[in-house]
Amino acid sequence: MSEHVVLFAGPMGSGKTTAIRSLSEIDVVSTEATNTDRETADKETTTVALDYGEITIDDVTKVRLYGVPGQKRFDFMWSILAGRARGLLLLINNDAPDSVALLLEYLNNFRDLHSRGAVVIGVTKSDVSDAPSVADYSAALTAASPDQLIPVFTVDPRNAEEMRTLLLTLVASVEMRELLAPAPAPISEKI
Amino acid sequence: MNLTPAPVATMASHLNPVHIDAGNRTLAEMQDLASSLTFASLLTDDGFEIVHLNGTHADGGRFASMSSSVQALSDAVAHELKIGTNEYVIIASELGHVIQLRVQGHPIVLAALFDTHETLGKGLSIARIAARRMAELIA
Repeated sequence: MSEHVVLFAGPMGSGKTTAIRSLSEIDVVSTEATNTDRETADKETTTVALDYGEITIDDVTKVRLYGVPGQKRFDFMWSILAGRARGLLLLINNDAPDSVALLLEYLNNFRDLHSRGAVVIGVTKSDVSDAPSVADYSAALTAASPDQLIPVFTVDPRNAEEMRTLLLTLVASVEMRELLAPAPAPISEKI
Repeated sequence: MNLTPAPVATMASHLNPVHIDAGNRTLAEMQDLASSLTFASLLTDDGFEIVHLNGTHADGGRFASMSSSVQALSDAVAHELKIGTNEYVIIASELGHVIQLRVQGHPIVLAALFDTHETLGKGLSIARIAARRMAELIA
């Protein structure tokens, strides 16, 4: 059985924990604490270390799902977990102020993972705020990274089928990238 | 899940003058009990520093965030292994040890760094006294 490690990142309140709970086949390991920053996100609890879940796709591929805290003050967890991952599922809540700029900022925070792995964007809460559009995000991403195609979807993190579509797209991108990667040089060439 | 049942707070602890004053008193009394206390912090469960002592030794904000994550991960391990409630966390290192535990009944964590002149047992005892004292002051 092959394995992939995928990171769920994005601002506080974008739906990372909910998305992992929608997808995971096992009880999700959560590290939630009482949220005292209700101005940033009006919710009872917030992730302070990680979420962890697992899902098996096509019977032969296990995907380990790691969620990181959204707040910048926990960026040490971003570094720790990004090092293990090959795919980034970046969620952005459409009701966030200046959400396009926020998306680019988060993408930049994970640029190392972005450069060696695959990225898929999920725009959440588009029922709360209908702008910007997917086209707006795509245009900004193309302007920021003209040589890379980053898929953008609207998604409801509570909807397992929608989340599965994003995850399968990401896994396919990761596998394609691995296939296209140059083969390691033979030992004789390294000596 | 690893949430401590918390009283309904009207103001977050790191913004609450009563909690800040109580925290400063608690950490000052803690320092009186242990000269080996290199750094100490009271923080909210979600990683905001309420107060700290001896701030020249560490970045208080970053220490608070990391302590919050460590506490939550330790709680998650205890929950996963079904071994009851996580009472305290110890990180024992060559040049010092970090001890952290919750202030009972509040979404607050006490984290303290002692140098190696303190035994782990005494450090833990002092940290427990300080956590109880903080709980009394903000009851």
